[in-house]
Amino acid sequence: MAFGQILVNWLLLGSLYGAVALGVSLVWGIMNIVNLAHGAFVILGAYAAFWMYTQLHIDPYISIPLTMAFLFIIGWIVQYTLINRVIRAPFLVTFLLTFGLDLLIIDLVQQIFTSDLRSVNTIYAGSGLDIGSTHIAFDRLIAAAIAIVLTAALNYFLTHTREGNAILATGMDRDAARLMGINIRNTYALTFAIGAALAGAAGAMLAELYPFNPSNGDAFKLRAFAIVILGGLGSPWGALAGGLVFGLVETVVPLIPGVGPGYDDAIAFAVLVAVLIFRPDGLLGKPFYR
Amino acid sequence: MLRRGELNKTSGARHKQSELTGVKGPLDTSSSTQEKPLLELHGLSTGYGETQVLWDISLHVMHGEVVALVGANGAGKSTLLNTISGLLQSWEGTIVFAGRDITRYRAERIAKLGLVQVPQGRRLFGGLTIEENLRLGAYTNRAGSARAIAADLERVYMLLPKLCERRKQLTHSLSGGEQQMCAIARGLMARPNLLLIDELSLGLAPNIVDDLLTAIDNIHRQEKMSFLLVEQDVQIALERAHRAYVLEGGHIVLSGPATDLLKSEKIRIAYLGA
Ligand SMILES: Nc1ncnc2c1ncn2[C@@H]1O[C@H](COP(=O)(O)OP(=O)(O)O)[C@@H](O)[C@H]1O
Ligand SMILES: [Mg+2]
Repeated sequence: MAFGQILVNWLLLGSLYGAVALGVSLVWGIMNIVNLAHGAFVILGAYAAFWMYTQLHIDPYISIPLTMAFLFIIGWIVQYTLINRVIRAPFLVTFLLTFGLDLLIIDLVQQIFTSDLRSVNTIYAGSGLDIGSTHIAFDRLIAAAIAIVLTAALNYFLTHTREGNAILATGMDRDAARLMGINIRNTYALTFAIGAALAGAAGAMLAELYPFNPSNGDAFKLRAFAIVILGGLGSPWGALAGGLVFGLVETVVPLIPGVGPGYDDAIAFAVLVAVLIFRPDGLLGKPFYR
Repeated sequence: MLRRGELNKTSGARHKQSELTGVKGPLDTSSSTQEKPLLELHGLSTGYGETQVLWDISLHVMHGEVVALVGANGAGKSTLLNTISGLLQSWEGTIVFAGRDITRYRAERIAKLGLVQVPQGRRLFGGLTIEENLRLGAYTNRAGSARAIAADLERVYMLLPKLCERRKQLTHSLSGGEQQMCAIARGLMARPNLLLIDELSLGLAPNIVDDLLTAIDNIHRQEKMSFLLVEQDVQIALERAHRAYVLEGGHIVLSGPATDLLKSEKIRIAYLGA
């Protein structure tokens, strides 16, 4: 494959991974909640986009705001009614709770949509830009652009707005945040809801790009967690950087003669370990977010 | 220094333990002696889990008054402040602030009322800049508008110019004195009626402590603000306050005008090493 094509494939896959990891970076990295239902939220987003495409004939990219709003509401309800109750409980309780939630959501999706492989076939699927011998598919290019916009938007929200700063502050010191008058229940709910909305956006992109079924969430969830650690907990641009590193490994490794596609995950995780040896806080992480 | 002359003139009996409840400070700076206290604790007790830490605490702070709460390490001073601030629930007793029973209020609601704490150990948001920390201090928007908050920020910077120089610096990289400065400024940004300051002097060089206290004196003189200063350094606290309470093993064992306590035999032996 030509170098230009590898480069393009890498950037497009990497930014998609970044989008999947973005919500995890926020919820885990900043609020210290490990949400094992993140993969299920991505799948919910994918099916929401699929449903709107088949029933209402809205393109998954166009319907992203609706998908995000839908998951925002679900995330808010889940946090406010379930996770807020165990926010002071040991880590493992949240772990189990979100694990159960993951199973529940996936099961529900399966009941409603069956476990058949679904896909969205837009009119522009398959078309793209051709520069020399390099093909840039439109659907992937748009996904990458959305991923970058979401990353920049999240970063701006956290660093430049009152509520964003309240989220950061709550993650750094919960009691001090309460002394500032920050309602931490609402702040947690908002954070979790934004995380879910970002998962929904990633799900919509997946629906557009790949065939999917309800069990696809797991692979993304595992990668998302690894990407967030690699990029640096709590850093939106870190999620993108981590996504690009994973994307690079998964694009390049299968092309190495004698290695083949089976090893890309193993090598990706080896890269993760190697990065953490030299940069324990990840590529763009900052120590006080932990 | 806060109205030392006035203190000496008006303070009556020396070496005498004033009663806790019902006694309006003789040094009441507010216009009317009939006025209700800004903060009033009555029979408060609390603890952690099964362990009781505070027993039957009653104290009050008048409008415009500076009150010290002193006691050794582990006496329960921070526990008391956290109970007042709503971070810790009380087991018994009542807390009334500005005429409102806030005993069961949540911390965030109490901050909104203008009862603000500068916690022990500063507890700044280390990954944020000085200015971001200060803006979070104004989170409750008691100032009323973005413009008013900006004006407050300018005033705080005037008061503590060092913070202005470093407004874009992350607070985890500041020195201890600068962090305490920022923590107090963050408390001021909340536009408090009563500012609780936990261990202002802890771990700081004497000249830095002096600077900070001078800044607080200035604020006290300019604004109608009350302070409850919690200190292990009894000398510092008693020199600055109108009245003081002494906490020992979770009980208030002594209270009265600060000048009286400063001269009391018991205090001199137990806390001032003389
Ligand atoms: N979070 C906590 N959990 C259990 N015990 C605590 C906690 N915080 C303080 N204590 C105990 O309560 C007592 C009073 O502590 P504290 O209020 O911090 O005292 P001070 O501020 O006067 O030094 C001490 O015996 C301390 O060990
Ligand atoms: Mg203390």
